[in-house]
Amino acid sequence: MSSSTLVFTSSDGVDITVDRDVAERSLLIKNMLEDLGESGEPIPIPNVNEAVLKKVIEWCTHHKNDPPSTGDDDDSRRKTTDIDEWDQKFMQVDQEMLFEIILAANYLDIKGLLDVGCKTVANMIKGKSPEEIRKTFNIQNDFTAEEEDQIRRENEWAEDR
Amino acid sequence: MAGETAVPENTRPRLLRVHAAANCSSDFTAPSISTPYRLDEGYSDETKSQSDKELANLPSDDVMPLPDWLLASSKEDRAEIAYSLLRTLPISSLVAVVDRFAPLLYMDPVVKLPPEITSEIFSYLDPETLLAASLASRAWRGRIIDSSLWRGKYIDEGWRVDIDAIRAFEENHSALSSPYLRKSRLRTSDTDIGEPKQKKRVPQSWLDSRTTGYLGSYGIERQDGHQTSAEADTEGDHLMSDVSNDQSGSASPGQRLLGSNHTWESQTDLARTMLHGHASLSTHTPPKSSILIRMPNGGAKINWLHLYKQRRRLEDNWNRGRLTKFQIPHPEHMAECHQECIYSIQFWGNWLVSGSRDRTVRVWNIDTQRLRYRPLVGHTKSVLCLQFDPRPAEDIIMTGSSDKSVIIWRFSTGEKLREIAPAHYDSVLNLKFDERYLVTCSKDRLIKVWNRRELMAGDKDYPAIHCGSAATYPSYIVDTSQLPSPITEAELAKRNIQSLSPYSLLMTIAGHGAAVNAIQISADEIVSASGDRLIKIWNIRSGLCKKTLVGHEKGIACVQFDGRRIISGSNDDSVRIFDHSSGAEVACMSGHAALVRTVQAGFGDPPGAEEAMKLEALAVDNEFLDARRSDEAVNYGPRALRRAGHYQNTAGSRNPRDIKALGAHIPPGGGGSKWARIVSGSYDEFVQVWKKDRDGTWVIGLSLSHVDSLMEINGEENERPRNSRNAFARRARRARLANQAIGGHHGAAGPATVIPQVQHQHQHAARNQQAPGNDNIEHHQPPSRVFKVQFDARKIICATQDPRIVVWDFADNDDELREASQFFTGL
Repeated sequence: MSSSTLVFTSSDGVDITVDRDVAERSLLIKNMLEDLGESGEPIPIPNVNEAVLKKVIEWCTHHKNDPPSTGDDDDSRRKTTDIDEWDQKFMQVDQEMLFEIILAANYLDIKGLLDVGCKTVANMIKGKSPEEIRKTFNIQNDFTAEEEDQIRRENEWAEDR
Repeated sequence: MAGETAVPENTRPRLLRVHAAANCSSDFTAPSISTPYRLDEGYSDETKSQSDKELANLPSDDVMPLPDWLLASSKEDRAEIAYSLLRTLPISSLVAVVDRFAPLLYMDPVVKLPPEITSEIFSYLDPETLLAASLASRAWRGRIIDSSLWRGKYIDEGWRVDIDAIRAFEENHSALSSPYLRKSRLRTSDTDIGEPKQKKRVPQSWLDSRTTGYLGSYGIERQDGHQTSAEADTEGDHLMSDVSNDQSGSASPGQRLLGSNHTWESQTDLARTMLHGHASLSTHTPPKSSILIRMPNGGAKINWLHLYKQRRRLEDNWNRGRLTKFQIPHPEHMAECHQECIYSIQFWGNWLVSGSRDRTVRVWNIDTQRLRYRPLVGHTKSVLCLQFDPRPAEDIIMTGSSDKSVIIWRFSTGEKLREIAPAHYDSVLNLKFDERYLVTCSKDRLIKVWNRRELMAGDKDYPAIHCGSAATYPSYIVDTSQLPSPITEAELAKRNIQSLSPYSLLMTIAGHGAAVNAIQISADEIVSASGDRLIKIWNIRSGLCKKTLVGHEKGIACVQFDGRRIISGSNDDSVRIFDHSSGAEVACMSGHAALVRTVQAGFGDPPGAEEAMKLEALAVDNEFLDARRSDEAVNYGPRALRRAGHYQNTAGSRNPRDIKALGAHIPPGGGGSKWARIVSGSYDEFVQVWKKDRDGTWVIGLSLSHVDSLMEINGEENERPRNSRNAFARRARRARLANQAIGGHHGAAGPATVIPQVQHQHQHAARNQQAPGNDNIEHHQPPSRVFKVQFDARKIICATQDPRIVVWDFADNDDELREASQFFTGL
């Protein structure tokens, strides 16, 4: 019989105990447990530090009863950037944490969390002008004025509708 | 120091992390940051390494060095020290520090995240935002002009492409010339060779090609499914004149059947030209536009950003009515012209087939505007309907005629292969075939189903006898439910069951009370439209009537079915849209002033449309119910309102007042993308191009006149004598249309120019007033009643009472549009 909890070791060496059903929101972990069986040893998560791992586990705990994503779910999904309220609150973190969560979700293969993270970033970009986008993410404009002009002209086809 | 406090959770273990933190100040990147996260998922669209410049710039912070003891202390301690230190500063200095410091709290996702994740983020954004974002920095631009991102955008718009044509084009232009590629190039016209490599989120059906037959419940491209040739309904007020009503027309002598003596290109070239039309484009000269991306290995890939852009420009031309027009036949070769009016046309790639009252069938090359070979002679009366399939596997034209027969011709040679005579007791008004069946319908009120391949009892396409249905089956059809299962060869022999040879009659469906004017086949269903004002849906194997759709107030002349909605045009001058699954009428569009003879719709459903539409439909229903509960004025039925002199705006309005039927699975107007388009042609001589306005209501985007276009093409004066007989009719009709457009004030005839004309939303009373004048006018038989239109992504082709065919081409002589259009398929 498998035990009901697992232990993760974060990249900065902290052990965190997680319910198995929560941990299995991560397809990486789920597949690993299926393939390798359970050793009882702590599972190292080499790419995720304690703070981020805790956030990820918080998300997985809240969403542990979500229906599992179907295999080809994306095919028929309509692209909307709507995010449910709890997730919105959850994602109110600094940009570095946000990007770290996205990277962790990608690494751990937690589709729902990756989606929410990507949508959150998309919403930060949506409808903004180039200058506003630069401000939002502290981006240096490395185009010359001429280049910028030319690109604007190239993009004119998309205007007016 | 500041940099360290900004990212407190960064402690030592992760080299990369420290690296990133030290560097998080700006758009610089640590080139290796993404690598550890990059799982090999068999996917990457990274275009270039970002390293050189960034490496050079790496730790060039102008922060003064800190003593080692400070750096060695814990994160918490350092935070505490920093805070205490800041507290010693005056406010003004603090503000300066904060200003200097603030940017460090932000970081660039394009630097921080690998391409596959930014690609996912960008996939949520609309094209306008993306183009704006591409100006943020070079790195952003690099990620945004990514071709695969735009492929997703293209598909999300609900636009379709001919993926086979794209693959062939890529191969043609690849510098790689291995024998393997050559070989596969020759074989690309076989559908199943080399499935397109698709990103996983794209379902097969979205990238389906022209060469995929009827498979799937709703086709990508229904070029095969549009011709509807309907005789007027039996109410008798708009009978289409026909050779059968006339005395003998002049049968053109000297028109002989073409035998197989006609020489042709090799079969392969033929297939290529036939399927992808424009032979001139498949030459190997490299394109001038940015349509291709050159791969490092010399291969060529289609540039989806370019395709997206060109499609958008093309759609813009449709919306603004920018087009060029030409006629078929070429004005310098009028000897090739049909001698009388054209009842039916269909085009596929560059081939156009027309059937005329002059009893001939003609095959045209659209590019050259010339006949492909001499007219096909075989019918003894008007050719009323036709369907053709140029693919080598089919290579067939089927035509139905007033002479009650159906003739099957070989497309490539024009040879007559078979004749079913008589197929019906009266004129064959429409026919449709797929790989399995031929379905015909007639003025004799019957629908007949025929097999195209040899059939044995027990085959899945063999008729399923259903007692009590409207269908009758010939005596040679065995009731397979009476047979033991599985049927063995021995039993078949014992019972003396013969296999059915191709084109045997499988069943006759007598379910309509008037002429059956139009039919469609979709999967296992036949949709029929009749002069009895009804649309019926039949099971193609049993002949059982599954549904009857009521709505039109007069006979129905044409019908189209895309798997979700049924679109019909009627003698009540309206075009209506019905939800297939519930039978609910979801739109009624009034914009014609006479019988709507031909209609084609493209809704351009984007991926995920079905679920989204169901939810939208449900929301509309709920709004209606809420409105009713709160005692707002809602309609309890169109009839009651009509009696009260009220006309609804049911062209897609979501106003609870305008909702006609609940329980639909598609929203008012029928759903689809914002690019959705309906083209309808009428006895009022106009072709209307309908589009959706911003609220999703159908409005006329463009009115096209066959007569006017022909005059322009031929440089004729506007009111030439030929039309004098009908000048009155035309003026009256225009006045009526103008009337409608301005809200239907009686007698307030508008100016004669109503093109393009937008239909207003609340024009309730308009149609009441046009009824009395109708009959007088129509008896004049205007010269250009529209019998048949078909459109694809780029053009509309129109056949009318005039024997010249008109093509409206929205590529509008633009080379880039012309080049890209070869890959676009309809909506």
